[in-house]
Amino acid sequence: MIKRLLIANRGEIAVRIARACRELGVESVAAYSEADARALHVMTADRAVAIGPAAAADSYLSIPHLIDAARASGADSVHPGYGFLSENAAFAEACEQAGLVFVGPPPHVIATMGSKIEARRLMERAGIPVVPGETSADQSDDALGALIARVGLPALVKPSAGGGGKGMHRVFAHAEIAGAVQTARREALAAFGDGTLYVERLIERPHHVEVQVIGDRHGHLVHLFERECSAQRRHQKVIEESPSPAITPALRERLTAAAVDAARAVSYCNAGTVEFLVDLGSADIDRAPFYFLEMNTRLQVEHPVTEQVAGVDLVRAQLIVASGEPLPWDQRALAQRGHAIEARVYAEDPSHGFLPQAGRVLLYREPRLPGVRVDSGFVEGSEISVHYDPLLAKVIASAETRDLTIARLVAALRGYPILGIRTNISYLLRILEHPQFQSGNVDTSFLEREGEALAERPNTSFPPPVTAAMAAHSEASAISDTPAGETHSPWDPWRRSTGWRT
Amino acid sequence: MGSVASQHRVANVKSGEPAAVRIGPGIYQVQDEGRSHIIYVAGSPGDSWAFWNGQVFRSGTKEETPHRAQPARRAAALSLTAPMPATVLKVLVTAGSQVKTGDTVIILEAMKMELPVRTSRDGIVTAVHCREGELVQPDTVLVEVADEVG
Repeated sequence: MIKRLLIANRGEIAVRIARACRELGVESVAAYSEADARALHVMTADRAVAIGPAAAADSYLSIPHLIDAARASGADSVHPGYGFLSENAAFAEACEQAGLVFVGPPPHVIATMGSKIEARRLMERAGIPVVPGETSADQSDDALGALIARVGLPALVKPSAGGGGKGMHRVFAHAEIAGAVQTARREALAAFGDGTLYVERLIERPHHVEVQVIGDRHGHLVHLFERECSAQRRHQKVIEESPSPAITPALRERLTAAAVDAARAVSYCNAGTVEFLVDLGSADIDRAPFYFLEMNTRLQVEHPVTEQVAGVDLVRAQLIVASGEPLPWDQRALAQRGHAIEARVYAEDPSHGFLPQAGRVLLYREPRLPGVRVDSGFVEGSEISVHYDPLLAKVIASAETRDLTIARLVAALRGYPILGIRTNISYLLRILEHPQFQSGNVDTSFLEREGEALAERPNTSFPPPVTAAMAAHSEASAISDTPAGETHSPWDPWRRSTGWRT
Repeated sequence: MGSVASQHRVANVKSGEPAAVRIGPGIYQVQDEGRSHIIYVAGSPGDSWAFWNGQVFRSGTKEETPHRAQPARRAAALSLTAPMPATVLKVLVTAGSQVKTGDTVIILEAMKMELPVRTSRDGIVTAVHCREGELVQPDTVLVEVADEVG
């Protein structure tokens, strides 16, 4: 079994990995940039190593810095989390060469599945349907324009090296081709360091359904059912759930079988996710066509919904199989029980075009309710910086039925105060309360289509109870030297005297 | 929350108006028309934030209006500013460029996302105050747009 694990990530996922380590008796080592010296993941882990300045390129994306950190801390293994270097084959390779166990599939599998072109060829050979699309060696504007014309409109232009929806652009008309290609290339270069673009036919109003798989080094490979992730804004998932309310048992059989075939085709090891676009336009859902979209060779942001429904700990399982031990369960032992929904809480302002927000968290209280799980990476007093992804936390509700789960998640979000920085919580609530979402039939264009109905106007007129509470608060602040009374945590903003009049 | 009775403060005792009682750090219980509400408040009197039932309220600072929501008045020149700390990715205009409402003049990048800065009026670019690659702070004026000459 691995003994000491370097967590090559930050935020909620680093905290979550440290927690799994503690339960397994594995020592955790946090890696942190200068901006994160006092971050929650640093305090949660058993040890911590500085890896460089705030800019991700010089810290969380720096392979040499992370390998040095692993060596310096005496770690025998590295967990990459999601994002950053989690799907970087060179990083996995560097870990192996440094004698470190990389918690993920082998480097060549990451490389194969990370290239949309190679992954697609492989899937076609394995008999798994793929979306019509192609790329070309000639990446000039003209060549890509010709490619788009050949694949047919509407088309989707996306980074070949990409994932997570970054740099994807839709093209509906010929006039939009040049702009989409240039923007996509810039974003691809900025996010992945590789401007190669891939063009595919856009399937309108599909469902995004993905299947969690995990394999060990002894030839065992299981799936942990599906997640419905169709509630997306600009290709970023906002709400995910399991089971999918839109599919039937027969379609689930076909999707999970295809996912296991896809993973077998690359002798997959460790946790991964096979993403499908499902065309639910026809009446016969059992036989609905679906297409392989991509395989994510890492833990997903939304893994908790699977954990809640299947009753497993995926990070624990990852660490076990990375240590060379067999999977703790076989396929027959796995079942979906009840329902789980995750809402992603982002530091962004829905009333101002979802602009990412930065600032100090003045007040923060997590909801504590039965059936509610909060995976978060910050505390009251934390500084949310502009350097990293704006994901603050994930709230996951689970219950016997989907309706109950929605009600539970709504109650949790209504009691989840985050002050000092704008978040998307009210936006999440409007989605959860939307009749279309509640009906369970939400495709990937839902959030965009309902944009107006879900749009937020800043609260300019305050209800009387809010005004009364604010008045009481400013009175309390004016009386006391340490405003509003006792401190709440070592990072309590009330201890700071800046900005207060006494 | 049990032993804070001595710290209770009634903010408003006029009958018929809601009464707020502090029950913990930043937590207030408000009685209004027979109903009880839990409201969280933080910040200073000049810039205070409240959370009630999933909604956030902010008082004391003027809420910036999104650029595109500003009415395009012919009289005043328009200053387009950075909404947040960001890197200037592309400058799409130069002094003298003619622009129309909705045109993207600057592309910023923050948190790996591209943020287009659009003009909310027709006119002519009178000044560009940033360069590509530059890190800009919130409210930095990036581009000024004024009436066409003549």
